[in-house]
Amino acid sequence: MTTTTQVRAAVVARGLTKVYGEGDAAVHALRGIDVGFAAEAFTAIMGPSGSGKSTLMHCLAGLDTVTDGQVIIGDVEITGLNDKQLTLLRRERVGFIFQAFNLLPTLTAEQNILLPLEIAGRQADQALFDRVIETVGLRDRLRHKPGELSGGQQQRVAVARALISKPQVIFADEPTGNLDSRSGAEVLAFLRRSVRELGQTIVMVTHDPVAASYADRVVFLRDGLLVSEVERPTPQTVLDTLMALEA
Amino acid sequence: MFRTTLTGLLAHRLRLVLTSLAIVLGVGFIAGTFVLTDTIDAGFSQSFAADADKVDVVVTPKDGAEPDGNLPESALAAVKAVQGVKDAQPMVSGDAPLIGKDGKVVGDYPTAGVSIPASRIKITSGRAPSAAAEAVLDRNTAKAQGFAPGATVTVLDQAGKRQEFHLVGIFDVGLDQDLAYRGAVAFTPGTARRVTGAKGFTEIDVISSGPSPERLRTAVAAAVGDAEAVTGREHADEVAKRNHVDTSYMRLGLLLFGAVALLVAALVIYNTFNILVAQRMREMALLRCIGATKRQVFGSIVLESAVVGLLSSVLGLLTGLGLGAGAVAVLRAVGTDIPTGTVSLSPQTIAVGMCTGVVVTMAAALLPARQATRVPPVAALRTQVEEHAFRTGVVRVVFAALFLLAGAGLTAVGVLQKPGQAALLAVMAGGVLVFFAVLILGPVIVRPLSGLAGWVPARLFGVPGRLAVSNSRRNPKRAATTTVALTVGVTLMTFMAVLTSTMRTTVSGQLDQQFPADYILSSQTGTIPRQVADTLRASRDLAAVTEFRGKKAKVNGREFEVGTVTQSAIGTAIEPEASSGTMDGFGGSEVAVADFVAQDLGVKVGDTVTVASGGRKTPLKVVAVLKADVSLLPPFTMAEQAFEQHFGTVGDARILVDASDGVAPERARKVVDDATAAYPAVKVGSTTEIRGQFDEAIDSILMIVTGLLALAIVISLLGIANTLSLSVHERTRESALLRALGLTRTQLRGMLSVEALVLGLVGAIVGVVLGVAYGWAATATLTENVSFRLPIEQILIFIAASGLAGVLAAVLPARRAARASVVGALADS
Repeated sequence: MTTTTQVRAAVVARGLTKVYGEGDAAVHALRGIDVGFAAEAFTAIMGPSGSGKSTLMHCLAGLDTVTDGQVIIGDVEITGLNDKQLTLLRRERVGFIFQAFNLLPTLTAEQNILLPLEIAGRQADQALFDRVIETVGLRDRLRHKPGELSGGQQQRVAVARALISKPQVIFADEPTGNLDSRSGAEVLAFLRRSVRELGQTIVMVTHDPVAASYADRVVFLRDGLLVSEVERPTPQTVLDTLMALEA
Repeated sequence: MFRTTLTGLLAHRLRLVLTSLAIVLGVGFIAGTFVLTDTIDAGFSQSFAADADKVDVVVTPKDGAEPDGNLPESALAAVKAVQGVKDAQPMVSGDAPLIGKDGKVVGDYPTAGVSIPASRIKITSGRAPSAAAEAVLDRNTAKAQGFAPGATVTVLDQAGKRQEFHLVGIFDVGLDQDLAYRGAVAFTPGTARRVTGAKGFTEIDVISSGPSPERLRTAVAAAVGDAEAVTGREHADEVAKRNHVDTSYMRLGLLLFGAVALLVAALVIYNTFNILVAQRMREMALLRCIGATKRQVFGSIVLESAVVGLLSSVLGLLTGLGLGAGAVAVLRAVGTDIPTGTVSLSPQTIAVGMCTGVVVTMAAALLPARQATRVPPVAALRTQVEEHAFRTGVVRVVFAALFLLAGAGLTAVGVLQKPGQAALLAVMAGGVLVFFAVLILGPVIVRPLSGLAGWVPARLFGVPGRLAVSNSRRNPKRAATTTVALTVGVTLMTFMAVLTSTMRTTVSGQLDQQFPADYILSSQTGTIPRQVADTLRASRDLAAVTEFRGKKAKVNGREFEVGTVTQSAIGTAIEPEASSGTMDGFGGSEVAVADFVAQDLGVKVGDTVTVASGGRKTPLKVVAVLKADVSLLPPFTMAEQAFEQHFGTVGDARILVDASDGVAPERARKVVDDATAAYPAVKVGSTTEIRGQFDEAIDSILMIVTGLLALAIVISLLGIANTLSLSVHERTRESALLRALGLTRTQLRGMLSVEALVLGLVGAIVGVVLGVAYGWAATATLTENVSFRLPIEQILIFIAASGLAGVLAAVLPARRAARASVVGALADS
């Protein structure tokens, strides 16, 4: 099943294949995936454990090499790039949000948020910075170190860090996995607002139907293949699709 | 539990290697020291034993025998008359200044003129002297002066007359340090006595015609009476024992450096185990969860350290064997006379090496092991190991303050005391206490210091630089221990550098004061004829010629050196510093007294002393007490005329010569050389030469000490590498995150290099501060008039080298960190 809305795709994968190991021990994580992720949209990737959803995200983000096929971010085919080029691409065009927050413990919240810009040697856009801070509600926590923040606050810092460099796409890997439901809902709301208000493109891997329901569209993976998708999902439609897949 | 420990160790082989390398080097150095000194000892014993068999009985003077501490000449006849004596050969020893090819006497001290029994002498080429006109020369002198058998050599006899001899061979002085230092010409016994004027013998070697050495010894002892008679074997043992004392000093000195290296190794191991325990919290907690007791957890860490210590000590012993053999080979290659012995590990070496290695390793692991027992079993269930923030505890501050106060107080006491050994000891003890204060205070001071050391790198290297600096400050305890290991080495190096540079400046200042001249003339035998000074004064190229003369005489009943100096030189060429009174207008029957003598005799300015010699008595009035350590003058200095009236015409002991302004050194030198050409015993030295020799001596001491301390530095670098690689392992996720956010591999590597740079610099800064402070304090305890000088260049080199070495230590860990796959690191949670 291929997508029809490829008019303005931020990320496109064609015939994406990933094989770990060789010979008898070979594991086919991705078996030829064709998928596009619309710009300024919030897309969720779902699937049962071992379906290849994390591998897909790593390949899309240029964190992992692919065995075959193409990945295009914006107008750049990243599957042909070397490590250095990939690094620079991540710097300029990709943002990340992880399940385990992954903030640097030695830096304050503000320094963590500005880190990608600093690495890239870019100046922060003060207006954008203010807006992002307002959006995630961290104004009074900027001077705190990660150790002094709650899990929800830490993840909001991570969201702000991803937003601040205005990347072409943000990849979020189970962003609510370590949060209680209230903090999780908050973070998901921020993600959706950033798509609506800042025109951000977000691709999120999750196994939580409620989290997926915040997205504009959900694509489903099973055994390394794209098997289904739902537009304008609700928790119920997502759950139903999942049940159908498991069956 | 035992199996768990072993499998854990095997699983982390690299970690094991780095940790043990520190101990391997420390133990290796200590074992090497033993191997080297044992080899030398064994070699000496062997060669003495070989010598011993050639002689049956050796007769030597009793300690303090008169005259000249020699055996009387009658002893030889007495020995020869003993029944069972086949042959008795005397050994004669005196001065026979050898004249080199430049027409001047050789060396700083007169060459020894000796006669060595045929049974003893080791002829390396040619043959032993057998006729009155024949001589042999020691190997080193022959080589240095370019003499070979067949040549004619000239020596000055006791009267200062030239005597020519036919050189028939070259001999080896063997282990006689005195002969080796002065050089020696050997003659037949008769010639040796005629040339040197030596009375009596220093030794008589007896060869038996049948009786056992023991029986012969008893007979000989009875015949010679007041002398020492021992068998050849006993004699060899005695000499070997004396020599063993020398090697013991060498061993002790080297072991001190070994101890420093082991201290540093202990710090490195302590830190490594600490980090390992911190990283294995969950593992420990899991063990506790499944029923391991605290004791078992403690035991497993201690056991791990024991295994590491044992393995490293074995490797260390092998390293030591190699080091010892290498050192022996090097010493032989540079021409040091070391008798051949077999290089081997003695049981003692093995015991000492194994014990120190295992004990140091286990002791260093005790505190970390105790820390491991504090892990609650529930920690196994926690997902994330939180970094515990370091808080400055009151106990720590109080202890540090106590040590600091005690140390600083003791140091101050030492510095303010009169210079001497007690003062130096006080300063050293103070230094040790202050070092402990620094050790305790380390985690507190390492934060601001790394901020300081990282100020430039943080600005120079952008984001990686800033991240590196904040990383270096994040675990102050770990950073402190890592850097303190380096501090030990840098402190000692700086200390030595300050000490030597201050010594150099001070002595050079003293040389200026003592030899306010371009040349100094002295004689190896007797005095310098007065004509020399007269000839020199006639030259217009020379500005000042100052003569020093002296004679022994009784002053107020006790024997002292009484001297005089060219009258016109007082206050011009030489400026004696008086602690009381003055030498202004010195003359008539006045005398200047050195302060220590004045104190001894209890005389002061205004008193009268009486000089008595040769039946003459001259009363003199004390007008000045001179500071002896900065004065060139003898204990009693008389005016020139009064001296002459009392003692008659006396030759010069020394002449100081100052060239006129604007005269080229070569020209002045030629004038001096020409004036002394006729007197081979008169040696001309230039102050630049003296200073050069002194500089060389100081430089070589500094080089040897620095070289020996380098080991401690290398071990501390292993520590930095170890800490970094363990930190890198800990921060795998963080590194992966930074890579995901766009940090290139090069930048990540750079980040770790800067972190290592900062650690290295912090260690160096603390070391330099301590080293300079204690270098200063120590020099203050040496003598009163110290010109302190900071060897800024050397210190900058130490700091730069420490930083660089830190970066070098980071190469491997940084590569590992940069190579890690981003996905792998992020996924593993």
